[in-house]
Amino acid sequence: MKSTSQKILGVWNTKTVVAVAIGAALFGVLMNYGGIPVFTNTKLTTAMIIPVIVGAMFGALPAAIACAVGNLIADLIGGWGYWFDWSIGNGVLGFIVGLLPLYGANIDEGIFKPVHAIIYAVACVIGNALAFGVITPIMTTLFYGGELEVTFLQAMAAGLSNTLVLVVIGIPILIILARRNARSTDLKLEEKEEQNI
Amino acid sequence: MKKPIVEFIDFGFQYRSQSSPTLYNINLTIYQGEKVLILGPSGSGKSTLANCINGLNPFSYEGKITGSCKIAGRETKTASIFALSKTVGTVLQDSDAQFVALSVGEDIAFALENQSVPRDEMIPKVQRASEIVGMEDFLHHLPYELSGGQKQKVALAGVLHDDVDLLLFDEPLASLDPQAGMQAIELIHKIHLEQKKTVIIIEHRLEDVLHRPVDRIILMNEGRIVFDGSPDKLLTSNLLPKYGIREPLYIMAMKYAGCTFTGQEVLSDIHSMDLSPFEDKLKAHFRSPVKRSPIPVRDEILRVEDVSFSYGDGDVLKDVSFSINRGEKVAFVGKNGAGKSTMAKLLCGIIRPDKGEIHVEAENYLQYSIKEIGEKIGYVMQNPNQMLVKDIILDEVELALLLRDKSREEIDVAVERALDMCNLYGMRNWPIHAVSYGQRKRVTIASILVLQPDIIILDEPTAGQDYYHYTEIMNFLDDLNREYGITIVFITHDMHLAIEYTDRALVFSDGELIADDSVFKVLSNDEVITEANLKQTSLYTLAKRLDLEPEDYIEHFIAYERMKKDNEKPTS
Amino acid sequence: MKSPLLNLIPGDTYIHKLTGKTKVRTFVILLIYIIMSFDLRLLLPLFIAGIIGLVSLRPEWKTLRYFFIVVAAVNLLNIVLFWLVNPDIGTFWCGGSRTVLISFTKKLFISLETLWYLSIRFFKMITSFLISMVFILSITPSELAAGLYSIKVPYKICTIFSIAFRYIPDIGRDYENIKISMQARGVELDPKKVPLIDRIKQNVLILVPLIITSFDRVGNISNAMDLRGYGRGKTRTYYSEHEEGRADKIFKVFYMGLLVFSAIWIVSRIISPPPSKMWYPFS
Ligand SMILES: Nc1ncnc2c1ncn2[C@@H]1O[C@H](COP(=O)(O)OP(=O)(O)OP(=O)(O)O)[C@@H](O)[C@H]1O
Ligand SMILES: Nc1ncnc2c1ncn2[C@@H]1O[C@H](COP(=O)(O)OP(=O)(O)OP(=O)(O)O)[C@@H](O)[C@H]1O
Ligand SMILES: [Mg+2]
Ligand SMILES: [Mg+2]
Repeated sequence: MKSTSQKILGVWNTKTVVAVAIGAALFGVLMNYGGIPVFTNTKLTTAMIIPVIVGAMFGALPAAIACAVGNLIADLIGGWGYWFDWSIGNGVLGFIVGLLPLYGANIDEGIFKPVHAIIYAVACVIGNALAFGVITPIMTTLFYGGELEVTFLQAMAAGLSNTLVLVVIGIPILIILARRNARSTDLKLEEKEEQNI
Repeated sequence: MKKPIVEFIDFGFQYRSQSSPTLYNINLTIYQGEKVLILGPSGSGKSTLANCINGLNPFSYEGKITGSCKIAGRETKTASIFALSKTVGTVLQDSDAQFVALSVGEDIAFALENQSVPRDEMIPKVQRASEIVGMEDFLHHLPYELSGGQKQKVALAGVLHDDVDLLLFDEPLASLDPQAGMQAIELIHKIHLEQKKTVIIIEHRLEDVLHRPVDRIILMNEGRIVFDGSPDKLLTSNLLPKYGIREPLYIMAMKYAGCTFTGQEVLSDIHSMDLSPFEDKLKAHFRSPVKRSPIPVRDEILRVEDVSFSYGDGDVLKDVSFSINRGEKVAFVGKNGAGKSTMAKLLCGIIRPDKGEIHVEAENYLQYSIKEIGEKIGYVMQNPNQMLVKDIILDEVELALLLRDKSREEIDVAVERALDMCNLYGMRNWPIHAVSYGQRKRVTIASILVLQPDIIILDEPTAGQDYYHYTEIMNFLDDLNREYGITIVFITHDMHLAIEYTDRALVFSDGELIADDSVFKVLSNDEVITEANLKQTSLYTLAKRLDLEPEDYIEHFIAYERMKKDNEKPTS
Repeated sequence: MKSPLLNLIPGDTYIHKLTGKTKVRTFVILLIYIIMSFDLRLLLPLFIAGIIGLVSLRPEWKTLRYFFIVVAAVNLLNIVLFWLVNPDIGTFWCGGSRTVLISFTKKLFISLETLWYLSIRFFKMITSFLISMVFILSITPSELAAGLYSIKVPYKICTIFSIAFRYIPDIGRDYENIKISMQARGVELDPKKVPLIDRIKQNVLILVPLIITSFDRVGNISNAMDLRGYGRGKTRTYYSEHEEGRADKIFKVFYMGLLVFSAIWIVSRIISPPPSKMWYPFS
């Protein structure tokens, strides 16, 4: 059983390092290629799902790092230059949505109940509000100067689309992944039971 | 007196998540400088044993050890994986997962980097290791510029540093094409001799390993050692078929010919073995008539005419033309990057030819969408996990029909048929995760079959699987072909598969179709074999040594084997 | 799936040949420098240096042009928005004066100060983009990992960068394959043909296998790393980090100097804040 601090900070063995790296790579790929077109030029990016999954399996800090590094990598392979203000905001969001193990959801062991989905949805809203309503605008103003209101509005737009994806796509994916992993412990028993029918 | 390097005494291992031990009662000593092959059916505990030697058990996979295991005199229970990694170098099956760095040089240096070896000491060591495996000209190459065989060489170089005495290979050949596999075996042997390293190989492909001599074979079954002795002893015994391991083809040929062994013969090297006691029997058997089931001539279902294709720069396929008849079984073979998968994607309409035409049932397929072509030609990917999206088998199988807005009744009828065809009906409500890899593969095939395609293309259907699962899948596909007349195209590197299960081979080399003929004709054509990185089977060598025409000999062997199989299976 | 910009093989120009350490350190210090300066006198030299740097890398202008146009357009839109929200913003930044040039309504006008402020901000964004472009084009992921390690980033974080870059092509290939097999089964991905909600559903169909196959690799990769002693020590060395040359020494003098300058600049601004928040020549 992992302790609370391990659920938040993660256990930094080789496996975690690799999982965070794979998560970051997936984030980078999805950010650049995996958008869902909404209107001609607007896309909902599905990349934000990745930190949720890393968080569910390895803890909140690994999720935050996968998200922040993934964002840097996405900018890098996409060719948009570095925008640290957004990376930091994403990292904070990754941390909050990656808190799943803290409230008992455990995708690895197939535990994701409706109550977890509700807490998760609330965490997504809070996370986005904090990350893009507070952190990113402050960072942007700090780095580049400017009008807090406008930056705030832009960040809010990003935050809203993120929340949408995190809830609308995230919950079905988490449910599917949890079901995939569920019962794999008593796998043998089930096979026999069903065969007898 | 030889020095033992691996010493198991009454050893047992139980994974924490398992209710019973995976290894029992292992007593095994391997001496310095030996070359040992470990065989056994899937799940017999070979990898578990290997991971007890290199320390992954219990470092990475928790579990309980009983008895004792000493590596170079050091008890593994108390040694760390890092200490063991200085004595034991491990090369794993998955050449992609093992290549963890961004270039060849860095990957070879990875172990040294972890030991904080200063860079100026590292450079000559990397250079030396890369020279041993012959990759010194590739130090700046990136992983995706290398073939599977080259990646395996890099993995080998990466564990060749200094004091590593013991090299451990867990299925090193699994993902290699025939030529690359042969070269890997030669390389391992060279290192064994020149560097005086102890070598342990775990591998299903016995015939390929025996390309170079081994000192000892250990046969495992259900967590126990059931045989420990010389290769010749094992080959003359009947243990291999008993435990579901494929015998080398030449041994099968000798057994078919009725040769009997006393247990004293030296059989492990086909080039040097004494054939005189068997020659008459083998030749007589070759002259015996076999029923050649003629391939029925049926109407053409697919025709490819002068097709060329490029992804951007340079043609990946150049003027390829061929045709396939209804109910045929065809293999696409050829070296890595020859364009086989590209051809398959073209047939499925995922990409379209730059030049040339493709006709399905005499209609130009360019007029159809991918979705429509999907109802005629189904494409099954190598890794079933890449295709499975639902968590219940039934949902997965009906997905393609739901996406086509078919009526409920129509769906139910088609799904039931597909499930029946794949023997999955009884499991239809099982969660996907609860079934084995082979069964998952069947689920993906069923999910394609619901569309009732005329042709199924399978990309490397058996790669990385052991003989048991391999035969399971291939026999299943064979039945589909026989009973439902479905045309099947395999993309494969495995010549045995091509021999045993297909009528015709299309050989690709650098984007060109260089041969289109029956498998045994292809496999007795030296030119084609070299150009396409294929490899002669031991039957070829056997025929040569008997002064028989290899082509005829292989054909006879295949016909005999099919006849035998048909007799064993009266259902058809 | 190779990015048009990111190169994995070291190039051969002057900047390419610097060590990862030099590149990362220079970049980090330049970032600090950009962030602290709201001053044309500081930004202009860097802008020029950035252009020289970029030209010296001999990049493919065709691909670059696209990114420059998009980034410029986005930032232009941004400053127009700034102006619409608060046309008087320049007054606050330029020391309180207001020189109206054109007046549309009472509230909507263009003042010299606002124009100045918005131009400088735009210029700053472009300079920062330029510098990060030079950095991206000149560094390989291995050098990035080694360079980050040289600025005391823990090596496990550096490994995350190199492993991620290593497996991006593999994941990209998986993604393509999964998309292909789904399309053949009838998943329609053409945006024009299906409503949004279906598009979302169908994306889930691709994401699930992609996530599962990607994370399936983790066990094998980490085993391969453990077996070669990853994580045994507190330090590690880097094969890809070649010896420092003369150019590295020159750069070192340069970036150390810049660091000292930046420190003095920031401290002096904290101790005695200048009358206006940014340098404004017309007051
Ligand atoms: N990490 C693990 N945790 C729990 N059980 C395991 C683990 N690895 C293997 N096993 C179990 O141990 C048994 C032996 O597996 P092992 O991988 O050693 O077989 P193998 O002989 O190498 O088979 P294959 O030829 O398929 O590679 C299997 O029944 C498997 O389910
Ligand atoms: N999506 C792609 N974009 C660009 N080039 C590609 C793409 N897919 C394949 N290629 C190139 O086309 C050539 C043929 O590739 P293909 O995958 O068809 O080979 P293959 O015969 O299936 O090889 P293997 O046995 O390794 O699977 C290769 O040189 C490959 O690098
Ligand atoms: Mg194994
Ligand atoms: Mg292929």
